[in-house]
Amino acid sequence: MEDNVAIRVSNLTKKFKVYYDKGRSLKEVILFRNRNKHEVRTVLNDVSFDIKKGEAVGLIGHNGCGKSTLLKLISGILYPDSGSVEIAGRVSSLLELGAGFHPDMSGRENIYINASIFGLTREEIEARLQTIIDFSELHGFIDNPVRTYSSGMYMRLAFSVAINVDADVLLIDEILAVGDANFQAKCFSKLQEIKEKGTTIVIVSHSLSQIENICDRSIWINEGVIKADGTPLAVHSEYLDFMNEQRQAAGGKALDIPPEYVAYMQERRYKENLKLSMIPEQQAAVEANGGQYRWGSGEVKITSITASGPDGVGKRLFEVGSDVYFKVHYHVEKPIKDAVFGIGFFRNSGENLYGTNTRIDGKPNFDIDEDGEFTIIMRKIPLMPDQYTVSFSIEYGDGVPVDYWKDALKIDTYRKTPDVGGFFMEHDWEYGEHKAQD
Amino acid sequence: MNKLKEIYEYRLMVYSLVKRDLRGKYKGSVLGFMWTFVNPLLQLLVYNMVFSIIMRAGVEKFYLYLFVGLIPWLFFSAAITGGSTCIIAQKDLIKKIRFPREIIPISFVTSQFVNMLLSFIVVIIVSVVSGVKLTVGGILCLPVIMLVEYMMALGIALISSSLTVYFRDLEHILAIVAMAWLYATPICYPETMVPEKYLSLYRLNPVTPVVNAYRDVLYYGKTPDLTTLLLAAGIGLITILLGVLIFGKLQRRFAEEL
Repeated sequence: MEDNVAIRVSNLTKKFKVYYDKGRSLKEVILFRNRNKHEVRTVLNDVSFDIKKGEAVGLIGHNGCGKSTLLKLISGILYPDSGSVEIAGRVSSLLELGAGFHPDMSGRENIYINASIFGLTREEIEARLQTIIDFSELHGFIDNPVRTYSSGMYMRLAFSVAINVDADVLLIDEILAVGDANFQAKCFSKLQEIKEKGTTIVIVSHSLSQIENICDRSIWINEGVIKADGTPLAVHSEYLDFMNEQRQAAGGKALDIPPEYVAYMQERRYKENLKLSMIPEQQAAVEANGGQYRWGSGEVKITSITASGPDGVGKRLFEVGSDVYFKVHYHVEKPIKDAVFGIGFFRNSGENLYGTNTRIDGKPNFDIDEDGEFTIIMRKIPLMPDQYTVSFSIEYGDGVPVDYWKDALKIDTYRKTPDVGGFFMEHDWEYGEHKAQD
Repeated sequence: MNKLKEIYEYRLMVYSLVKRDLRGKYKGSVLGFMWTFVNPLLQLLVYNMVFSIIMRAGVEKFYLYLFVGLIPWLFFSAAITGGSTCIIAQKDLIKKIRFPREIIPISFVTSQFVNMLLSFIVVIIVSVVSGVKLTVGGILCLPVIMLVEYMMALGIALISSSLTVYFRDLEHILAIVAMAWLYATPICYPETMVPEKYLSLYRLNPVTPVVNAYRDVLYYGKTPDLTTLLLAAGIGLITILLGVLIFGKLQRRFAEEL
């Protein structure tokens, strides 16, 4: 194997026996020998590819396409029927979090158990112990028994151990969905950091956008063979088209496309539309920003945005019909005249629900010459339970963007009653001549 | 050889699993870890009542005779019966994490072994209190005897644990085998009670020389003749080699079969 190759998969074939009616007891084995009918299903058929050192690769495909089997073969949990997997260096597989945790033992003791299962020696664990504890944010609880942890704390500890193993090759199966949004973001940036250190990463995920964010390459597995291999954007477009065709061929019924795909497709379409409507400079700015939808001339920059109730305490979850306060802080690089503040609400799919700014509202324009803040109060928000993204903008003159921050903030709404729809509509009922009771 | 090196690299995992097992065992009970010592003492009390008062076997200090044989046997029998299910019991680990799977039976047998070692503290105390004069040579032989027994137990656990994954009946079959094996070994009765014509067959049991060696040290107070252990040591070595071979073959499909 060449020096720059981390994983070499050569002519890998894996078959599973699928038993119609499997008997494994003595009586069944002897008496019903011929009842042990099974079919052999080829999950992977003569698959070959190389992964270079430091590359981050996503494995995609619909359920049952063989991508998880492939990951297990690479990790050495499964053995191939033919072909081989060669790996340079230490492998760590994040297929299961919290392996070997004992509920009665403390967090600290469980770090030792869990890390030892990953093959670390005592010295290696001791060298990482503090990093693991820091990452898990469980300082005050680390010597308490794990059974007293909430499920979030449990996952945080488990993930912290797994991510700090320091492998040369890291295999990940659908686990970035751990913990709350904050911890997820932290795991995500830790992954980026690991990647920058030169670790080879292979990820199986349903979330195409996750793969696009981390990986430089996607391999699409279909029916046990590689259907496409290339940059995530190219492979995913092809994949989504294929899934779409399949869906239409099946009479428009949802085949096994998870709702994330649908949302993702809508998001993609939205982004493309947005790009079309952007002037070239804006588009360039978005690209320079690593795809983050934030652009502008930059004289004034939004530094922080908090969403809160009337008490001013920042939160993310709001009841439908409550007042939401958005406090926006900005920093001035260069004073501007005739500034206009704006806000926009979007669905995750990209649909614009409402947008306005101080000019539309007939407010006087401002001259901004020093750091400051403004607050937008959205009264009785009618957005029914879902997640929404909020965008903010500062413009001047006739709409020259100074800082245009798309998807700056996410809020969630909830409702105690089971009425349905996209927006809450204020209403009353009247029965004949009688007025509804108040 | 590579396998050995890999297992050595995972030595902390064996330690962790054994520690977890021992710690977890008596968690929540009032006496806690003390049960490791109280349990054999109470067993001794029961056997003493039964065999000194009800069923007199005609052996001097029969309770000690029995006790010295029973503690090593309990370890051996746990390795056979519990060993067969140890892989199945850890299927979540096997299916999700890559590590040398031999670690699981090794940890299981070691954990039972540590339990036996702790019980031996009680055995030695009882033996001394009963007036057995322990010899230095005898005491020095104990680790050798234990090692031979450990090898046999591990070999059997490697074979039975991997076979049981494919053939679940083995668990129940082995429970019966363990029971029969107990009576084919001079533990509850002296070897002299075995009819002459069966004796050569009887002596083929590799556990017999092990039990006899323990008894030489802790019951008769003499240095055992280690040559009688040779057969047992040889069988122990063969079962381990066979166990590693069979386990190595069978473990390839563990994750699919579980």
